[in-house]
Amino acid sequence: MADAEFPQCRIVTERLLKPETVEKILNKLAVIPGIRRIVINGPSIPQKVPYGPARGLDNPHSGKATIRVGVTDVDLRVQVGTFLLELETRDIVSQVEEACKEVFTNFSYSVKEGKFMRSTPTQVDYAKYGPNANEIMLGLVDPKNKTGPTLIQGHK
Amino acid sequence: MAYTPQYGPGQSIVAENRRKQMNPNVKLEKIRNVTDEDIVLILGHRAPGQAYPTAHPPLAEQGEPDCPIRKIVTPTDGAKAGDRVRYIQFADSMFNAPSQPYQRTYTECYRYRGIDPGTLSGRQIVECRERDLEKISADLINTNLFDPARVGIRGATVHGHSLRLAEDGMMFDMLQRCILEGGTVKYVKDQIGTPLDKKVDVGKPMDDAWLKANTTMFHSLVGTSYRSDAEYIEYIQRIHSLRTKYGFMPVE
Repeated sequence: MADAEFPQCRIVTERLLKPETVEKILNKLAVIPGIRRIVINGPSIPQKVPYGPARGLDNPHSGKATIRVGVTDVDLRVQVGTFLLELETRDIVSQVEEACKEVFTNFSYSVKEGKFMRSTPTQVDYAKYGPNANEIMLGLVDPKNKTGPTLIQGHK
Repeated sequence: MAYTPQYGPGQSIVAENRRKQMNPNVKLEKIRNVTDEDIVLILGHRAPGQAYPTAHPPLAEQGEPDCPIRKIVTPTDGAKAGDRVRYIQFADSMFNAPSQPYQRTYTECYRYRGIDPGTLSGRQIVECRERDLEKISADLINTNLFDPARVGIRGATVHGHSLRLAEDGMMFDMLQRCILEGGTVKYVKDQIGTPLDKKVDVGKPMDDAWLKANTTMFHSLVGTSYRSDAEYIEYIQRIHSLRTKYGFMPVE
């Protein structure tokens, strides 16, 4: 692991978000220089009905949409309720708060500083990435998932 | 002196609502009018208009053995006709839904015959003969036990009762069986998640004030807090104390 420890923050909204709101906030965040990584979290929306007699049927769901962040398309697979952000410096938090204030107007939210992403590899990470895992991948995506993270064009 | 059940302790509105739902002498308040055909569609057990499939011949044809219990207990319509046993299952949001699993089971046991309720933390299922089920479901959906946004009719994949609500006030449902469209909630899938040919309208979501006044759930943030009901606290402490001491000395 690299020695550098970057500050992190977590945005939790009072309501689970529509894809349009997620698109809005992510586009606000994407233009803030100095955000290294963003994890979006929430309850999963499966592609197919996972249990019961209808198992295997397609699962049309308005939350399972493709949003556009900057010039990149992002497939949402969860109904987003939490954002984890890794920042380069702590002063960016105020800009993040400002972005939240503009987008989350109908309900409350909280922005907390702390340590929210995994920094050491788990056994599953080790099995997937090996001993020389790229630290940027740790805690970013589920190592068992076949699709990796989405890269959004930065400012540097 | 005849015994009068108290149904439950408490002085708060939540306790009062619980008693009202459980007490079979209190008529459930009818709020919406979902048709029988629509209920059959949501349940998804048979096509509307289709004859009830049977699990055994009607009791009259079957030839019942000579049994004193059978003489005392009148069979329900569904049992008489030999219907299959089918179910309806509900998930109730913790944000002031009008009912909740334990409450539903108590309510149904006090009010209906020939049922088999199953109580779980996030969902409650009730099984009974198909034609009885349709009648009971109509009661459970059309009255103040149901709210289109905070209660979900979910046969499988029920996750969502303890999650935050969506922006539009709907409870999370990974299968999105119902959608909010033009101010009313419409079911687009039946309870197990099979798409329906037509949308089934179950009415407008109730407002927050109504939900807070009619819920049977304590919630310190969005509703009535448990600690505000002194009688309930006293009752639960007594139960706790008796349970703890019981094996040692079963007296108060």
